[in-house]
Amino acid sequence: MTTTPTSSDQPNRTAVPFPRARPRWWPSFDSTVRSTALTARLGRALAIAISLSFLTGLLSYYQYVPWSWLPLPASPAWGYRLTQGVHVATGIATIPLLLIKLWSIYPNTFRWPPFRSVRRVVELLSLVILVGSMLLQLVTGFLRVLNWLPFPWDFVSVHYYLAYVVVGSVLLHIGVKLPDIRYGLQTKLAAGDVLTEVPWNENPDSHSNAGDLPAPVTPGISRRGVLTASAIGIAAVVVTSIGQALNPLERIGLLAPRQPSLGPQGVPVSRTAEEARVSAATIADWTLQVDGPRPYTLTLAEVEEQAAAEARIPVGAVEGWGINASWRGLRLLGVVERAGGSADSRVRVTSLGVGGIRRSQIFGPQLTRALLATHLNGERLSLDHGYPLRLVAPNRAEVHSIKWITQIEVL
Amino acid sequence: MLIWRLVLGILGVLVLVYGLVNLGLHIPGSTLVWVAVWLVAAVIIHHGVVSPAVIGVSVLLRRLVPDRGRRYLQAALIAAVPILVIGIPMIYRQGSQPPSMALLLQNFTANVGFLLGLIAVGCLVGYAVRVARDRSLGRG
Repeated sequence: MTTTPTSSDQPNRTAVPFPRARPRWWPSFDSTVRSTALTARLGRALAIAISLSFLTGLLSYYQYVPWSWLPLPASPAWGYRLTQGVHVATGIATIPLLLIKLWSIYPNTFRWPPFRSVRRVVELLSLVILVGSMLLQLVTGFLRVLNWLPFPWDFVSVHYYLAYVVVGSVLLHIGVKLPDIRYGLQTKLAAGDVLTEVPWNENPDSHSNAGDLPAPVTPGISRRGVLTASAIGIAAVVVTSIGQALNPLERIGLLAPRQPSLGPQGVPVSRTAEEARVSAATIADWTLQVDGPRPYTLTLAEVEEQAAAEARIPVGAVEGWGINASWRGLRLLGVVERAGGSADSRVRVTSLGVGGIRRSQIFGPQLTRALLATHLNGERLSLDHGYPLRLVAPNRAEVHSIKWITQIEVL
Repeated sequence: MLIWRLVLGILGVLVLVYGLVNLGLHIPGSTLVWVAVWLVAAVIIHHGVVSPAVIGVSVLLRRLVPDRGRRYLQAALIAAVPILVIGIPMIYRQGSQPPSMALLLQNFTANVGFLLGLIAVGCLVGYAVRVARDRSLGRG
């Protein structure tokens, strides 16, 4: 049976149902597949995906600017790898989900008259911000995963602040549409009102105005069919792309941007030595300058002689890929203590590379467990992986695992 | 419900304003113009090009394909959308990165084709089963 909304949960659904006159050429939509019931279910999935992306995105941004009183934890060691893998996988899945959701409400674009009231104009403007910011956020995020940056702005800052615009717009949209969402989720999928360019409160044939009606006939695909087909397509994308983060699935990663195991020394490179303008000539006279209360310098031979500590530390990247790796090198804390610092110190590590993130601070639990790595997976670090020395720490974004280290400062 | 709507609306506006203000504070004005251009372009491309194209395809399907077969064809097209949306940029970019990045090294044209083939086979099998069942019931 049709679930007919009551006047209490649909306060506006008691409006007199008379369609407003409109030009003959104005677009009309008669597909019975579109329904508030379908849109509400797609919207619920979208809201969950956006929440997941936003929360994991906040964790990722925290890697850039941790507060002094709340240092990044060092455990679980795979924490960032997990959250960023989820962030990217969810973002990728959200792109088609958003497009299908927008398809489901496309007739709303053609309400007549288009600018019927100040409220409608404000609503349209908020929808432009909502749809535009979501599309922009998702598309540029995906392009970033592909290392494709055709947009002329700093990705991290815009992606971070735009996320608030997206989430704020979504919350506002949910607030505005709450009666429709409630109706849509409470109504059986097959029986809900048909969504056309005519608002339900002006449509005399809608369940809301005509009372109990048989479920509309869908000659082609059913509403459940739309949901099922969408779920299959999105699941296919997730399963075949998540292998870049979930290594056992790498073999079926037909849409995985990266194949971590194919990287040199078993780990991909996010930023090459060539991009950072580092070459054998650049590091010919390399030394490590350690600044602090008792500054000193280490030569390459001294570093290699002292590189005896070993640790298994996963690599997790902002692009969503991750892989476990074995590292050998010097304990950063030992180097810091020799310079007069301690486990409570804040330490700045600087690269001799050009561009990108050249400096990064490390403190708290990550400092005590960090390595200045000379070896990766049993081999001397390659130049692309940061030879002669790179920073690695558990639960630390790969972009902050500074390569080609030339200076360490105890602040 | 009114309380919830108010809470969500006010919270939404606050978060939205926080994002906009910080964009204004941290991103140079000339760059923000580009962000706005991209944002509006995304809406125009979606609502003005992509959606009408999808509507056009659905109108054509309705005119040209009988109901029974159309269901399966529509299902195949909907399931193919996520694969194409994600796969096409990867096809365009494959081979563009240094090998050491282990990025976009695959033959994504073949991979996308394989996945679309799987969907096509699945829908064809579903359609064949439906036709056989209808015939056995004397409906087809």
